[in-house]
Amino acid sequence: MILFAVLLTCQAILHAQAIQPPRINQFADIAGTIGSSEGSIAASFVYNWRLGKKRKWEAGLGLRNTSYFGTKKEFRTAPGRLARSTTTPFVIVFAGQETQNWDTLTVQRPFINSLNLSANFGYHFNEKWSAGFNIDLIGFSFGRKSSAILTSNGITRTEPAAFTPSFNVLLTGDNDYGSLNSEFFLKYKLSQRWGVRAIYQFYFAEYKTKTIKQTAPDGTLVDRFRNKANTYGAGLSYHF
Amino acid sequence: MFFLLLSIGFLVTSCTKQNGAPETTLNEMLPTDNNAGSNAKYSGGFNNGPFGTVTGNARVYLKDGKYILALEGVAISNGPDLHVYLSKELQPLNFIDLGKLKSTNGTQLYDIPGNPDFAAYTYALVHCQQYNHLFGSAALK
Repeated sequence: MILFAVLLTCQAILHAQAIQPPRINQFADIAGTIGSSEGSIAASFVYNWRLGKKRKWEAGLGLRNTSYFGTKKEFRTAPGRLARSTTTPFVIVFAGQETQNWDTLTVQRPFINSLNLSANFGYHFNEKWSAGFNIDLIGFSFGRKSSAILTSNGITRTEPAAFTPSFNVLLTGDNDYGSLNSEFFLKYKLSQRWGVRAIYQFYFAEYKTKTIKQTAPDGTLVDRFRNKANTYGAGLSYHF
Repeated sequence: MFFLLLSIGFLVTSCTKQNGAPETTLNEMLPTDNNAGSNAKYSGGFNNGPFGTVTGNARVYLKDGKYILALEGVAISNGPDLHVYLSKELQPLNFIDLGKLKSTNGTQLYDIPGNPDFAAYTYALVHCQQYNHLFGSAALK
């Protein structure tokens, strides 16, 4: 009798494990987004662990290359200390924009490739539908030098060769450095292997000046300028 | 296919023809009131730049206390994103952007904001902003 009960329990456990999704969710993804005179193409590999009793949650790391391109995009004063009223972590969400400190660098033909380590989070509503968020953490950038125009207090000057900084890192309080991608997405699995995503992308693109600099009201010389690009698009995933 | 369409769409919207200046001949009226008279404050003939050709004259008029730059009888080779600058240098580093070129042909007027120091801003330029290429320049004297 006891043996029978043990067997039944084992079978129940095995059955439960059999219908649970696998512990690991790894996939390759390619995505394209487009906005106003700008766009991006991103390729990534993601390794997520499924979490929770029913394994509905997932979190993990990825590697992503984002190619961002545009024409005549306005990049504004980047250092958080000048651009926002506070750089305190979390409070930054409610921080004001210090527009009196902003100058505009109009980059004529920005093109940035940023290769970054990313953090990935997701929730599975059911077998077909899931939603998630991902954000770049740290990495490197390379891109095209471009002429740019710095408009400062109504005075316009030419920067012949604005360039993208080579190092990227996500920091708190709008103190980020370099070019970083992040996405909110909704995913639909077409089959066991293939899935499609609808994406809202928020991309920090950064360019630096070489020959001319902004003089901030406090006297700081600024050579970093940032475009916060909002774009929308779609992606295609292949699950291993 | 999606990415192909995306790329094509972006290229189509970002390049060439639709970035070029209109080519219909303009004949805007030169300032002729008592304040302006027919005397230009500064003037010069256009010379070709390294990336384009410009013929005709540039003249600065003062009308009702405001300066106006006139490109008179110009013929300009078309290009992407052409702007008219008042510049301190032949290759513009410090300049005032007077706006997009209205037409590659004819006579056209551009308002000059403020009261720039014409001892410093000595060039009228036709400049391709997107590629930082000089099409033509006129030294204002």
